[in-house]
Amino acid sequence: MGPYPCGSAAGGWEGVRSEAQCTAAPDIDGLLAGAGYRVRSSDLCQVAQRLERLESAMVYNSGGGHADYDHLASDAVHYNPSDLASWVDSMLSELTPADPGPVRHAPAPDGWVDQIYPQPQRAVAARMEEEEDSGIRLVHLLMSSAEAIQRGDAALSGSLIDEMRLLLTRVNTGFGIGKVAGYFVDALTRRLYSVSSPAASGSPAEYEILYHHFYEASPYLKFAHFTANQAILEAFDGHDRVHVIDFSLMHGLQWPALIQALALRPGGPPSLRLTGIGPPSPDGRDSLREIGVRLAELARSVRVQFAFRGVAANRLDDVRPWMLQVAPGEAVAVNSVMQLHRLLTDPDSPGPAPIDSVLSWIHGLRPKIVTVVEQEADHNKTGFLDRFTEALFYYSTMFDSLEAGRANGSAVQQQQATAVAEVYLQREIRDIVCCEGPDRAERHEPLVRWRARMGQAGFKPVHLGSNAFKQASMLLTLFSGEGYCVEEVDGCLTLGWHSRPLIAASAWRADDLEDNARPVPDNFIFSSISSTSNTNDSNNNNNNNNNIINGNGSMLRRNSNNNSRSSDSSSQQESIHGM
Amino acid sequence: MAGSNEVNVNESKRVVPLNTWVLISNFKLKYNMLRRPDGTFNRHLAEFLDRKVSANATPVNGVLSFDLLIDRPTSLLVRIYRPTPFPDTDNTEPSTSSMSSLLTDLIQPPSSDPFPVIVFFHGGSFAHSSANTAIYDSLCRRFVSLCNAVVISVNYRRSPEYRYPCAYDDGWTALKWASTQPWLHSGKDSKLRVFLAGDSSGGNIAHHVAVRAIESGITISGNILLNPMFGGQARTESEKRLDGKYFVTIQDRDWYWKAFLPEGVDRDHPACNPFGPNGNDLKGLPFPRSIVVVAGLDLVQDWQLAYVDGLKKAGQDVKLVYREQATIGFYLLPNTDHFYEVMEEIKGFVQIWIELQNATMER
Repeated sequence: MGPYPCGSAAGGWEGVRSEAQCTAAPDIDGLLAGAGYRVRSSDLCQVAQRLERLESAMVYNSGGGHADYDHLASDAVHYNPSDLASWVDSMLSELTPADPGPVRHAPAPDGWVDQIYPQPQRAVAARMEEEEDSGIRLVHLLMSSAEAIQRGDAALSGSLIDEMRLLLTRVNTGFGIGKVAGYFVDALTRRLYSVSSPAASGSPAEYEILYHHFYEASPYLKFAHFTANQAILEAFDGHDRVHVIDFSLMHGLQWPALIQALALRPGGPPSLRLTGIGPPSPDGRDSLREIGVRLAELARSVRVQFAFRGVAANRLDDVRPWMLQVAPGEAVAVNSVMQLHRLLTDPDSPGPAPIDSVLSWIHGLRPKIVTVVEQEADHNKTGFLDRFTEALFYYSTMFDSLEAGRANGSAVQQQQATAVAEVYLQREIRDIVCCEGPDRAERHEPLVRWRARMGQAGFKPVHLGSNAFKQASMLLTLFSGEGYCVEEVDGCLTLGWHSRPLIAASAWRADDLEDNARPVPDNFIFSSISSTSNTNDSNNNNNNNNNIINGNGSMLRRNSNNNSRSSDSSSQQESIHGM
Repeated sequence: MAGSNEVNVNESKRVVPLNTWVLISNFKLKYNMLRRPDGTFNRHLAEFLDRKVSANATPVNGVLSFDLLIDRPTSLLVRIYRPTPFPDTDNTEPSTSSMSSLLTDLIQPPSSDPFPVIVFFHGGSFAHSSANTAIYDSLCRRFVSLCNAVVISVNYRRSPEYRYPCAYDDGWTALKWASTQPWLHSGKDSKLRVFLAGDSSGGNIAHHVAVRAIESGITISGNILLNPMFGGQARTESEKRLDGKYFVTIQDRDWYWKAFLPEGVDRDHPACNPFGPNGNDLKGLPFPRSIVVVAGLDLVQDWQLAYVDGLKKAGQDVKLVYREQATIGFYLLPNTDHFYEVMEEIKGFVQIWIELQNATMER
């Protein structure tokens, strides 16, 4: 079922008109829903009236002469265009501040869980270029092999793999279907022949290197950081003490931009705490702390009061809220870039999954903003063939985009980054294809399911607006790959390659503010300081002069018996202060 | 008069259903925001506001869609819509659904009998919308069911970033591509039975691609033009009479032509005015037969009627479908007689030609 009007393929239009509303939620106008707009039938009249008013206001504001609606287009921030009533109201309030009152006070709270749009589909994007026949044959063989594995026919699967290996020698594996097929053949081979369970190989440090190269070679992670930072920045507006909790610090690549943006904030920066979660370093080094030190130096150089804490944990569900030491009165942002899916379990398995308890304690922190970026794919299917197929299409598109990036970048560095980025993706492919049960970490689920899950966990959506969209689009033009596209979907943003979304960013909150908090003005990140900043050192009680860097490092011992929330100095917490 | 901003909503509200009025007024106001007086276009905001849908290889109401990149240098995407493959299969194996999303299965011919291929160009006055815009996704799906056709919706490059002739080039690329696809050829003589179709600027593109096809050896079975976008330097009676009355103004038409046509030319350029002073003579040329739908409340109808006249004078086969009380965009929502009756006309237009060809072959 989908939002399309019930057409009759066999001719004869009788009854179609009455069926027109059949596929949308009962009180929503079905035809407008098919056009992408969600309007209650009972609101139609009022929306029409307000559209008339908006037109009058626009004409009035243009001075009746040459129409110039620049303010609405350039300065106003637009949110969730599908909610037409709210959009009209927001435009009206931009033009006529003394407005008697909107059609609705809040977006329909149930609307976020209702599925007006179809379930995630399999968008097939392919290239019709050279080596079509071999490429198509490879895909067929891959599918047959995966199907054989699902049926338990290891012998057939093995022979198909042999055939594929032969085919791969005749196909160009440097690019295109040959390249991605190679990785999937490799993964199938491992699944079939590996004796031990192929658990996550390589150290955290290696993984961080792969991650960094993926970051360099493609815009996906930059998009994630960029979009999340914009949402965090807006959520922190008006707050003097802010605390960002990063679910996966990596090299802290996301945070310099936020620190700089906060430094430029009109009225001066807040004092910023950053809590970075990451795996413990096996070699005794304190990598979390090292990153904290670097970020602190940056913060000091731009005069942002800054404190860092590292929380070492192998799994997110080992983290307890008390480890984060959220202080009363500070605005909290929780940032998760491609982490939450690791907390999921098989859809069929009964009982609660780690995601539920984690979402629950995040909610308990009452965050002003929770930024969630996830792969836009359904790789959490139980059935092997379905999962395999989904992954094949997803990663072909992903590899295709990397290829274009490499083709366009002439620097040797870019080529190298791309090659290592492929290894980063290969790990994901292996995980999805080879691992089962608790071994599988890459349980990607699409945005519609995350939206439902966040809603059920009590979070309210925070719409990503046209300013974030525009900045993301501008970011993409820095990349020569012309095929990237940003799209707005129900308040969230996706980044894709040639019309296939690959990564989705959304934002949520669990504080007690009303739903229609006034949106923040546009161009926040790029606004410049006109007056000197007012950071008033005398107000803070920190020991600025001595950088307290304990020799103990940032490791917080994961002592499950310790339930205390105390901040006694004997615990192995350490803070790195900037400024 | 030209440039009049008089807001006259009462007339338009009387002739269209309420939800249609809301939809088209919403477009009107948003588009007003996107056009800048200096001729530039707020593309970021346009893409943000545009309501899009993904392709869906799972059939919905018997139609599935998928996207293909057919020209890498220009990033030219098409969205292909087709009836469900394997409709007669009783196969209930769970793997069938995954297998059927394979490209190879998607590009099976829908039937062994001759079937129409419709290359569709969405509207948007050359500047707005995309192949994946929701309203056009709906319309293309409708065409599949209506005509048992494969529909190829072309995501052509838009102005003002890409002026004439980019949209025509992209249309031509798509048509050429279709002609190389074995699965789109049908019938005992294995031919591509292709129709060009489009609304607004898409209709204009369909005409010009058909002109380009004349010398190429690609035979087009028919042109389907829905409220096609034509114009000229003169101000016609319908433009003056209907300026601003039914969602559209002369001023916005002028803006879109200025954004599409080469810099410095006027609206008598043949792209805009194919039968005007700079037009080409189609007399004696194998131009496809056309069906042209004109809405009686569309302010550019005089230009559309002049187009029909121009085809007739050139001895070409053209059928005019004139809907007196219809406004622009009447074909976007299935809630009026205009919609259903025009769809039947289009169905008949396509069907007759397919049946004619069948009859010819069977002899």
